[in-house]
Amino acid sequence: MAATEDREAPAPRARGGALAALTQAALALPILAIAARAGAAQVGEVGIAVLGYKERGLIKVTEPVIWANAQIAEVWEVQASAAIDIITGASPQLVTNLSGKPVQAVTGASINDRRNTGDLHVTRHFGDFALSGSYTESNEEDYHSRAYGVEGRWDLDHKLTTIAAGYGRSNDRVGSSIDQTLNAPRHTDEYMLGVTRILTPLSLVQSTVAIARGRGWYNDPYKLTLTFYPDQILPILLADRRPDHRDTLSWLTRYRRHFPGANATLQADYRYYRDDWGIRAHTLEVAWQQDLGDRWSVRPALRYYTQSAADFYSPTIPRPQPEIVSSDQRLAAFGGLSPSLRLTYRFAGGTVIEGTAGYVHDARSLRFGGGGSEAYTTLRAVFGLVSVSRPF
Amino acid sequence: MSLHRFAFRAMAAVNEVQVHAADRGAAAAMAAPAIAEVRRIEEKYSRYRPESVVSRINAQAGGAPVAIDEETAGLLDFADACWRQSAGLFDATSGVLRRAWRFEPGSAVPSREALEALLPRIGWQRVERTREAVRLPLAGMELDFGGFGKEYAVDRAALALREAGAESALVNLAGDLAILGPQPDGTPWNVGIRHPRVENVAIATLPVASGAIATSGDYERYLEVDGVRHCHVLDPRTGRSARGFRSVTVHAQTCIVAGSASTIAMLMGRDAGLEWLDGLAVAHFCVLEDGAIIDRFPATVS
Repeated sequence: MAATEDREAPAPRARGGALAALTQAALALPILAIAARAGAAQVGEVGIAVLGYKERGLIKVTEPVIWANAQIAEVWEVQASAAIDIITGASPQLVTNLSGKPVQAVTGASINDRRNTGDLHVTRHFGDFALSGSYTESNEEDYHSRAYGVEGRWDLDHKLTTIAAGYGRSNDRVGSSIDQTLNAPRHTDEYMLGVTRILTPLSLVQSTVAIARGRGWYNDPYKLTLTFYPDQILPILLADRRPDHRDTLSWLTRYRRHFPGANATLQADYRYYRDDWGIRAHTLEVAWQQDLGDRWSVRPALRYYTQSAADFYSPTIPRPQPEIVSSDQRLAAFGGLSPSLRLTYRFAGGTVIEGTAGYVHDARSLRFGGGGSEAYTTLRAVFGLVSVSRPF
Repeated sequence: MSLHRFAFRAMAAVNEVQVHAADRGAAAAMAAPAIAEVRRIEEKYSRYRPESVVSRINAQAGGAPVAIDEETAGLLDFADACWRQSAGLFDATSGVLRRAWRFEPGSAVPSREALEALLPRIGWQRVERTREAVRLPLAGMELDFGGFGKEYAVDRAALALREAGAESALVNLAGDLAILGPQPDGTPWNVGIRHPRVENVAIATLPVASGAIATSGDYERYLEVDGVRHCHVLDPRTGRSARGFRSVTVHAQTCIVAGSASTIAMLMGRDAGLEWLDGLAVAHFCVLEDGAIIDRFPATVS
């Protein structure tokens, strides 16, 4: 049996961390569930993050994301964030069967876009009830979005159960750098209902159902299909044509379980998605957050995704030509695996630095049960995220 | 709804559970499991009970490891966090100093030799422990849960009340207490802080809506010789009493955190202790050695 590692009494920790350290140690004990909030002596947080994403020929950098939240007079919470995305590189736009088999072609046209986005979230607490309002704005050359939402949360049963219900509305305008005349609206109404239940002092489950009803322009002005027919000299080039509505349902269930003996938390999420375009998707993500001492945490995660194709997905234009058809491979049947690793370091003063690196591999062969779309081009991408946050 | 109070003896003190309930029967049904939980913890961890885990560990000092369960391992982890956060001042093996100290009128202050003879038996860093077992490496070493054992019982009793359906209740174990929710009319509970020099008089009344309060003081067990008060909060480095505070009261979300924070502040002494409490950003109320009051409690704490 080993004695406590440090033979000498350690130098006193920086003071801000002491409460967190004692609270952390108390959290491992089977005492009050309210201890889960005990570390929050802080009243606010500021943070900055840089995200990078790279797939063959396409680089997307989000720089920077800045966020801040603050609690005011104990009953108000304000949260705001801003981000700028810069996307550069070539975009696959055309699906053609020129070679005999439909494949996705990179047209050589390059994208250079910049997206500015910001949001504001305000919450007012009334005892066991909290009401939030939010506003999000996103602008880029060919896309503008304004969304607002309201959400209510009730703590029941001594905060062992929390019920949340919300409504959101998003008003978007879709344009195109190719077709300057395009300026089409899209409206989405979203309804959300969720329940969080603390099962034991060490585990909780959360389940949220969201239904969205969208109307308006869904065609992607950058997606084209070029189909050659053996009995026809001239090929047909067709723009993306999708329904003018989309109703979706997504159901997300998350489970968290802390293992005090191992200083670790299991995080398991399952998401079911369906829409009236015929897409059914399942996402399963399992992560293990392991604390290594007071300062370091490591979180390996693996996500699996699988979806069926939209009813109108086709890599070639069928004959007779249907009203709606799209060769966009995001509407195809495929599956994907995405491993990632996150490292966290906590400074004594409360500042947290986090770095995440991940890999995305989407392929038709990864579809659950097989049956992935033949024309799906395997996608491999890497992403990285670095963030710094500090409480105040 | 009305307030029902249940006094009970445990841990060598008179303690109390208060519950707001429709009638006394309903209140008793909620208070009973909380009181039972306090008694369970006393039996399990009291060093006065030979069959307790702590007594068995102490009896095996210098001998074989003693098997412990998950709850005990968690409490020892907590003791370890206290030791680290206090730079070694909070030491769960310092109870051995009680062999030299007699906190009774007429007793003498132990000699330097008597204390120095005990210091080699103190040293949390030498305690050998895993999740499953613990061993004190030297015969004569002692473990005790002072500073967090009773406080843990407060938190466990509060949890028992909550699980029994209490929405507005208070557990008070000899001045260390936890509060479950504000009173039914929405007002906070008024917690009286004992005057460190005048028994049965409150020096302050603090409004508390939730969380826990713990007090360390020089008035519980002490020895006064030539006008100098020697209290039972002992510095593991010298074996002598902590100086600088008459009492330190801390509010935190759990009593175990409040209790360890108040004890560590006592051990640090006035200036370092006050600075440390400030850094913790917890509400606190202190009576200094000279009687001056440092009141850093907001209008209501929750």
